[in-house]
Amino acid sequence: MANTNQLKVIYGDGTLGVGGDDFHYIFSYSRGGLESLVIGGKEWLYREPKPTFWRATTDNDRGNGFSKKSIQWLGADMFIDVKSIDVKVNNQLIDFPGAPLNNRYSNNEFADQIEIIYHYETLTTPSTTVDVSYTVTPNSVIKVAVHYAGQKALPELPVFGMRFVLPTKAIDYQYDGLSGETYPDRMAGGVPGVYQIDGLPVTKYLVPEDNGVHMETNWVTVTRNSTKNNADSSSVPFSLTFEKVDQPFAFSALPYTAEELENATHIEELPLPRRTVMTILGAVRGVGGIDSWGADVEPQYHIPADQDIDFGFVIKRGSK
Amino acid sequence: MSHEKIAQADSRWLDDPEVFRVNELPAHSDHRFYRNQDEIKRDQSSFVQSLNGDWRFSYAKDPMSRQKDFYKADFDSGNFDTIRVPGLIEFAGYNKIHYINTFYPWEGKEFRRPAFTMGPDQDEAGMFSKGKDNHVGAYVKKFTLNPDLQGHDVRIRFEGVETAMYAWLNGHFLGYAEDSFTPHEFDLTPYLTDGENTLAVEVFNRSTASFLEDQDMFRFFGIFRDVSLIAQPAVHIEDLSIKPTVNDDFQSGRLKVEAQFSGQQSGVVAHLTVVDATGKQVYETRSEVDSDVQLADTPFKTIHLWDNDNPYLYQLTITLTDKDGRTLEVVPYQFGFRRIEINQDKVIVLNGKRLIIKGVNRHEWDAKSGRVVTMSDMKQDIETFKKNNINAVRTCHYPDHISWYYLCDTNGIYMMAENNLESHGTWQKLGSVEPSYNVPGSVPQWQAAVLDRAKNNYETFKNHTSILFWSLGNESYAGDDIEAMNSYYKEVDPSRLVHYEGVFHNPKYKPTISDVESRMYATPTEIEAYLKDNPQKPFLLCEYMHDMGNSIGGMKSYMDLLDKYPMYQGGFIWDFIDQAVAVKDEVTGQKVLRYGGDFDDRVSDYEFSGDGLMFADRTEKPAMQEVKYYYGKY
Repeated sequence: MANTNQLKVIYGDGTLGVGGDDFHYIFSYSRGGLESLVIGGKEWLYREPKPTFWRATTDNDRGNGFSKKSIQWLGADMFIDVKSIDVKVNNQLIDFPGAPLNNRYSNNEFADQIEIIYHYETLTTPSTTVDVSYTVTPNSVIKVAVHYAGQKALPELPVFGMRFVLPTKAIDYQYDGLSGETYPDRMAGGVPGVYQIDGLPVTKYLVPEDNGVHMETNWVTVTRNSTKNNADSSSVPFSLTFEKVDQPFAFSALPYTAEELENATHIEELPLPRRTVMTILGAVRGVGGIDSWGADVEPQYHIPADQDIDFGFVIKRGSK
Repeated sequence: MSHEKIAQADSRWLDDPEVFRVNELPAHSDHRFYRNQDEIKRDQSSFVQSLNGDWRFSYAKDPMSRQKDFYKADFDSGNFDTIRVPGLIEFAGYNKIHYINTFYPWEGKEFRRPAFTMGPDQDEAGMFSKGKDNHVGAYVKKFTLNPDLQGHDVRIRFEGVETAMYAWLNGHFLGYAEDSFTPHEFDLTPYLTDGENTLAVEVFNRSTASFLEDQDMFRFFGIFRDVSLIAQPAVHIEDLSIKPTVNDDFQSGRLKVEAQFSGQQSGVVAHLTVVDATGKQVYETRSEVDSDVQLADTPFKTIHLWDNDNPYLYQLTITLTDKDGRTLEVVPYQFGFRRIEINQDKVIVLNGKRLIIKGVNRHEWDAKSGRVVTMSDMKQDIETFKKNNINAVRTCHYPDHISWYYLCDTNGIYMMAENNLESHGTWQKLGSVEPSYNVPGSVPQWQAAVLDRAKNNYETFKNHTSILFWSLGNESYAGDDIEAMNSYYKEVDPSRLVHYEGVFHNPKYKPTISDVESRMYATPTEIEAYLKDNPQKPFLLCEYMHDMGNSIGGMKSYMDLLDKYPMYQGGFIWDFIDQAVAVKDEVTGQKVLRYGGDFDDRVSDYEFSGDGLMFADRTEKPAMQEVKYYYGKY
């Protein structure tokens, strides 16, 4: 590397590559997101991170009809359109560097900062937009900023966040936040501290449903010891950290997506765990509890669709 | 029922709501009795011979196809199967496991209306005695009396049999019983032989009692609690009534002890002692025994009060000796001094302090055996209560295993002791209140049965300090019959409060049913509306915070009410443990938990049985830390 104080930028025909000291990230134009996140030679992504809107229906959600009212968000969670992509170099918007415009670049392109912004449009009626911006700096840190544009005619959201599917199952995760599984309306009993959770436990509710959310988190470090790379047989653990920027965030780390959980009527029907689904959440709906056949979650724990939601976090090399 | 013994069983009793006990000995206190102190220490009475274990068993799908003569002395049960007692017939593989909530278990299969609800001449003869869905279990147990029991009068005690049972000894009819969750005792003495005896028990899945036992739970049948032979000492305390009272200064009290005796009492002396928790004897008295006697009525100058923080118990011991000074029996019982009442501000106070109920509803459940719970299950549950600041339990919706009451006494758990009664299928139809065939309602032919249930509950458990409330049952609407249950408790036990929620749906009975305003699943706003509008009774939630799956959100709003309204006294979370059944997964072979509908059981309410703070394997759900926090705060 010619200059480790700068990022090396690869203006590819279908992707934007950004690399530095022992890390390399590839942002896809066609697949609508970050396709590769390699640190220390280890790939951290199975599929591109996308905005997430759905949580597997809880018993209370089913009982009070919330899932039916908010059903559009299930589709939005599974499929989303990318309308446009912006690229900023050193904080300056550049003409989109697709072919043939990218012929102007070389194999020796460097920058102090690269930002790529995906402009998503939800497949809801009406639609709304979500912008996800990744800002990469030479220290390998990626700063992620997510913006949901409020849209009055849409139903309340079950959840709003970013979902990262990691290629293999984590061996553990460590976080600085509240003990146990917490939700906005059930977190008074959570004790602040640093906790380590071995494996990727799924809370064994009789009917698989949303679970494992941790509110008020300052950081979470997920650790794996396996990859899908046929040439890598090492089992030395390696880690990735998600850390707060200004406000703490919520997250869950599970071997399943919301849709996988949604489909199962019993825990034994879930597929064999093989991946890690890290969901970083900017907004979480309460679980409720007055009853399970109609009572709504208390109003202050709803996620109204007509208000903007902004949240952010950084992704960085794990130090575990 | 008349006291004259009935010599022949009659299957029509299954159809008749006015027949619910035949030849049963009267319900009495649950005191245990021993030959000496050493047996007490080992908690092993040589007067008792357990019949738990392997029994012979034959299953019939309906009354028509059952072996009617299996109870006869010369019947050859050699081709019967073997079944474990206590155990449930479903868990032994004979009958489908079935979960259903409100509907009766025959929904969509049989059309039934409770006898006499459609008119005074509608007796519904044959509804159960010829019911196609009325499965039958025929049990046979051969036994020889232990030497320690020989020469005594001997009775048999069934602590829990669902749903209706007939019993015979050596071909002689013993009796018939309903009320699945309280003990049934029959006298064996006239029919016992020195050698091998043959006990036959016929258990029916359904009877008129089924209308009263529509609890939201898995529906089972069988002998699911202990069965024992009990020898009667020559003179015996048949019933014991311990009445400790607390004076207005909360520092002194009074102890009354009354007993009813059986046997030849002349010359027999009762020696009564009371020992405090440090082992110091604080009272002693001797009295001559005659048929009914007040054994003690004495002031206590200083008392230690019993409560959740300090469940202080005194050890009462009564020793009966004959005229030669030989010990006949020793009866130990622990009791506490505590006073529960509603004060002039209409607030429930315990020992003069406002009572705050940090409670749970607890069904008896073990994923491996259903309603058959072990001592270890019960002890674990108490530990879970203590660890998570749970101070109260409602025995939803039936009396529990006797040991549970003792555990609550010693651990300071405030108990709402509920009758075996729930009939929501007779008045709740798809969510609407429609009591057209409600039982017991005000139907005269159903009143004696529910009063008997009240009596069984009271007489058996009356000496337990932990019981602060008697509860008339759950979700059974309200009418003259439940009103009569309320009067019964008021008459026999002015020292405790009576609870019933169902009157909410028929408020004209409010003046005569329930000392408290009880609701279930009321929102914080609804509770506040009641408390702001000239409330006549203190308020509690007999069920709240429905912990189905991932739940217990918004608990703060309930707990805040405690700060704002003294008449809000807390509530019982629904509920303590998921009801789910441990099975081996047919695909992977791993141990998994199954719920309603997983056994081809229809009609079902599926996962609605999974509302616990604990998973069915007795591990805590994540929500428990929230409960621990809020229950620990008050």
